[in-house]
Amino acid sequence: MTAGPARAPRRSLHPGAWWLWALGLAAAATRTTDPVLLLALAAAVVVVVAARREADPGRPGLRGWVVAALAVVAVRVVLRVALDAQHGPTVLFRLPELPLPAAAAGIRLGGPVTLEPALAALYDGLRLAALVVSVGAANVLANPRRLLRSAPAALHEVATALAIALTVAPQLADSAHRVRRARTLRPGPGGRRHVLRQVVVPVLTDALDRSLALAAAMDARGHGRVRSLGRGRRGAGGGLVLGGLVGTAIGAYGLLDAQAPAAVGLPLLVAGLGAAAAGLALGRTRALATRYRPDPWAGPEWAVALSGLAVAAGLVAASVADPANLHPPTQPLVWPSPGALPVLAVLVGFLPAWLPAPRARPPRRPPGGEVAAGTGGDAEGTRPAVGAAP
Amino acid sequence: MIRFERVTFAYDPGTDPVLAEVDLHLEEGELVLVVGPTGAGKSTLLGLVNGLVPHFTGGRLRGRVSVGGRDTATHPPRALADLVGWVGQDPAAGFVTDTVEEELAYGMEQLGLAPDVMRRRVEETLDLLGIVELRRRALGTLSGGQAQRVAVGSVLGAHPRVLVLDEPTSALDPVAAEDVLATLARLVHDLGLTVVVAEHRLERVAHHADRVVHVDGRGTVTAGAPGPVLARHPELAPPVVALAALAGWEPPPLSVRDARRRAGDLRRRLAGRSPGEPVPPRDRPPLCRARGLHVAHGPVTALAPADLDLHPGEVVAVMGRNGAGKSSLLWALADAAWRSGGSVALADGAGAALVPQTPGDLLYLATVGEELAQADADAGARPGTAAGVLAGLGVELAGDRHPRDLSEGQRLALVLAVQLATEPSLVLLDEPTRGLDPVAKAGLVAAVASLAAAGRAVVVATHDVELAAAAAHRVVVLAGGEVVVDGPVAEVVCSSPAFAPQVAKILAPERWLTVEDVARALVPELRRP
Amino acid sequence: MTAPARARRVPALGLAPRTSVALVVASVAGLAMLAWPLVASPPPGYERRLEAPFALAALLPVLVAVLVAELTAGRLDTKGVAMLGVLTAVGAAARLLGAGVAGVEPLFVVVILGGRAYGPGFGFVLGATTLFTSALLTAGVGPWLPSQMLGAAWVGLGAGLLPPARGRAEVGVLAAYGALAAYAYGFLVNLWFWPFAVGPDTALSYVAGAPVVENLRRFATFTLATSTWGWDTGRALTTVAGLLALGPALLLALRRASRRAAFDAEARFEPAGAGRSPAGR
Repeated sequence: MTAGPARAPRRSLHPGAWWLWALGLAAAATRTTDPVLLLALAAAVVVVVAARREADPGRPGLRGWVVAALAVVAVRVVLRVALDAQHGPTVLFRLPELPLPAAAAGIRLGGPVTLEPALAALYDGLRLAALVVSVGAANVLANPRRLLRSAPAALHEVATALAIALTVAPQLADSAHRVRRARTLRPGPGGRRHVLRQVVVPVLTDALDRSLALAAAMDARGHGRVRSLGRGRRGAGGGLVLGGLVGTAIGAYGLLDAQAPAAVGLPLLVAGLGAAAAGLALGRTRALATRYRPDPWAGPEWAVALSGLAVAAGLVAASVADPANLHPPTQPLVWPSPGALPVLAVLVGFLPAWLPAPRARPPRRPPGGEVAAGTGGDAEGTRPAVGAAP
Repeated sequence: MIRFERVTFAYDPGTDPVLAEVDLHLEEGELVLVVGPTGAGKSTLLGLVNGLVPHFTGGRLRGRVSVGGRDTATHPPRALADLVGWVGQDPAAGFVTDTVEEELAYGMEQLGLAPDVMRRRVEETLDLLGIVELRRRALGTLSGGQAQRVAVGSVLGAHPRVLVLDEPTSALDPVAAEDVLATLARLVHDLGLTVVVAEHRLERVAHHADRVVHVDGRGTVTAGAPGPVLARHPELAPPVVALAALAGWEPPPLSVRDARRRAGDLRRRLAGRSPGEPVPPRDRPPLCRARGLHVAHGPVTALAPADLDLHPGEVVAVMGRNGAGKSSLLWALADAAWRSGGSVALADGAGAALVPQTPGDLLYLATVGEELAQADADAGARPGTAAGVLAGLGVELAGDRHPRDLSEGQRLALVLAVQLATEPSLVLLDEPTRGLDPVAKAGLVAAVASLAAAGRAVVVATHDVELAAAAAHRVVVLAGGEVVVDGPVAEVVCSSPAFAPQVAKILAPERWLTVEDVARALVPELRRP
Repeated sequence: MTAPARARRVPALGLAPRTSVALVVASVAGLAMLAWPLVASPPPGYERRLEAPFALAALLPVLVAVLVAELTAGRLDTKGVAMLGVLTAVGAAARLLGAGVAGVEPLFVVVILGGRAYGPGFGFVLGATTLFTSALLTAGVGPWLPSQMLGAAWVGLGAGLLPPARGRAEVGVLAAYGALAAYAYGFLVNLWFWPFAVGPDTALSYVAGAPVVENLRRFATFTLATSTWGWDTGRALTTVAGLLALGPALLLALRRASRRAAFDAEARFEPAGAGRSPAGR
């Protein structure tokens, strides 16, 4: 052990914090088409990922996402340039015109390629690209397994199933390799169909048999212990869910209908989903499982999440205050000049890159060194306490 | 602690009950062995203890099973999880999480323990089982013995009073098996747990047991002290019990030490008689000449260049610890695709067939009949050849059974029949004794002997020294990919006191390998008037 | 330690009346969220701002989560969880096998067969979890994921609702459904993404306020030109080929597993000595 001040070991940030930060930046990106702001958002993403990414060779990096984002921009620009319905004043070059059959009336391939529409498409594409890259950053920074552990109680079964899937999927590759190797031992008819059948069927059967053994082991270790809540609560929960979903449906159609009043739109949609979620939280039963080494939600998490939400809030405020500023026009073509508030908001998005990685808090030492538990012995903390230890 | 009162259980009401009128009372702090032929109902009996049977499997239970005062009729398995720890036949299939530490904590999470309690118990369990250095390892990278210990640890976190294990050492090599059994014995003696273990390979565990429960295939369950119960069922018992029956020791000793103390008289009776060690046949030219066989995966050498000659009618056992290169040797002999260098020259018209470690990998059709027919078609043999081989192995299988529903022994026989349909001269078996009960193992020994008698060369990679002693003429020991020893079986196997067959350990320094050898030597004496 | 064969087909995840209603209502809402270009009648100029669609896209994952939670909370027992986990892994692995190659998506084979063997409720959840897991495995959880999840979930649901059939007829029905489902899935997912992909002011763009037929025509041209010949047809071909080649064998394996799992296994307890027990066999 080296001498020096003892520092607690590093821990990973709660994955929810990264998702909130990323979604904040994504939401901010949807409010503007100013290329300066959008490129700054993308830069914030790249910088934060480079600074805070945990070394894990197994997981792919941001590069694929950047490629996807660039592809989105490229598709937009190419489609706009090639299929443009309108033209701007500044002509860049001319493409040969291709006549199309009468069935595709209204579509003209080729013709003069002008700057203004291309730039408009570029701005729009950049907006989507920034959104895509932000979401990509959340993928890279947040560990999916830890995210599953923080799933809400109503999704407990599905989260367990997903955790099992993440464990079993690599094992399937090993199983397939073993079976392919064994196939070579048996002289058999060739042909792709037989290969598939000879490999896929044993691997699937093996996996299904193992799933039964897994279920037995999980049952034997206590999976599925629940405390049943009262009938009234069950009924209320169910009613809330149904009612909430009906509200969601009405709200969704109302949002899309221009003639509907404003209240029967987004507010009803959000309220409906909220009611349904609340109904689920009320729930039928309460799972008794606890979490070993739960990811804490402390200062570092608040800092990261709030920085993302601040970016979104800043841009929403700016779009309400001065919407024209956030959507620079291309006809006439002007240099984009974002206001102070949006720029400041985007700069807040860089914050996580400068924050240090969080460190584990040392466990509290209770007085006497013994955890205060009910009866001690084997019944400590186990719920429900079923009889004393023999 | 565990009480069965007039328990009768059937999976389907219309069929015969698996267990009938079972009365059993197991005290606290006992190590109980459950023995019986495959398919007799040992797993059902173990499942009854923690309620998996019938809550998980379905079925009708008459009578009452109670553990620690709790009745399994009113307590499903999850309600008994803090009292009974159950570890199934394939521990790796029961792993839910990614790493060892999380797996140890999973059971406690489900029971709703507080996080600091869980932290403390995880550390205790790591120390108790000696797996501290495995804490952050991914579960997929563990060896068989480590996985078994982690599985035991994952149920210990709940501080149960009863541990139930279904065949914990079936897939392990002797060293790992020894570790796991010693751990179980320590749990019984130090913690006072009641441990119920279903086992086939009783050589290492019989002397630890306080009670043996025998399940015959017809629903009857008898329990008693280990000696008498095992003496009544010598086909399931370790060799020492059979030797005791031969030598007239009453009650039969269960450990090598106890047997050696009684063996003075037997040694005198056998003095001057030759053990009749099996001699590798050398009358015909070699069937297979392998020179410079070499397997490497990138920079790692799995098998250093080795030479091997195999004669018709010869049985060679390849032994060594896990990772020593046994499988690599067999695969290299089977096919050129699996060797990085060297040559295998087979005599004219000879072919090689390999039965891999998990024989089920070769089967992909829905019924036994279809598999046999496909094997005939693939090999270009007359229809019915493979079925004939199967019958010749002494195994009867209904043609409409699904191959996955078969027992380990039956599946091994099926795959062997499929591979033998091509009439190979060189038969390679990779770890065939995994999961086999003693009766099936005896069948395997007979099958190997008949293959050798038919003029084929058989190579068996195995941990099981009893199998090597019973079936092989020659033993090759590998370590680190290199051939360490290559010689006649008696010489190689008896030279190591720790890894000799049980009979050899008892009658050392003479080289008696199996109970049959001793019986053959004593018979003329018995016939003397 | 397995139960012997049973003749009845038992779903792994039962659908009670309340959850069926929730499923229908939420599907209607989800349809609005996915097919919004054809449903919306917003004021003109809308296509530049796209605020409502962004809001819908952000809320779609919440809807999917709520629906999946309603279907499974407290209703999926341990066997169901383990089976769901393993089949999800198989489907996700299948998807990764075909990754990158345009349109080769074997995962619908798994989802359709899973829905067929284990019932519509299970099929719905399986579709959603399979896509989510494959996204997790490739670190590809993107904004398009909720729509894909909902689409695949509907495919699994539909497979569970197909009429009963056996033997070759069953394979034929499944293959036809598979082709249809692959194209419908592609149609829906593209429809949702179309205005975002193309943007305003081109000949193929979404025009807010235009009649449904006009937008449909533009979308049809867009889809036919870009995706149908590539991804959608590839997906349909892979699904049909997979179902025809492997369908019977895989269904057999799934049904056997369903039998062994005995999802409706009834544990009966009787006192000792009730009735004559067959003695001493």
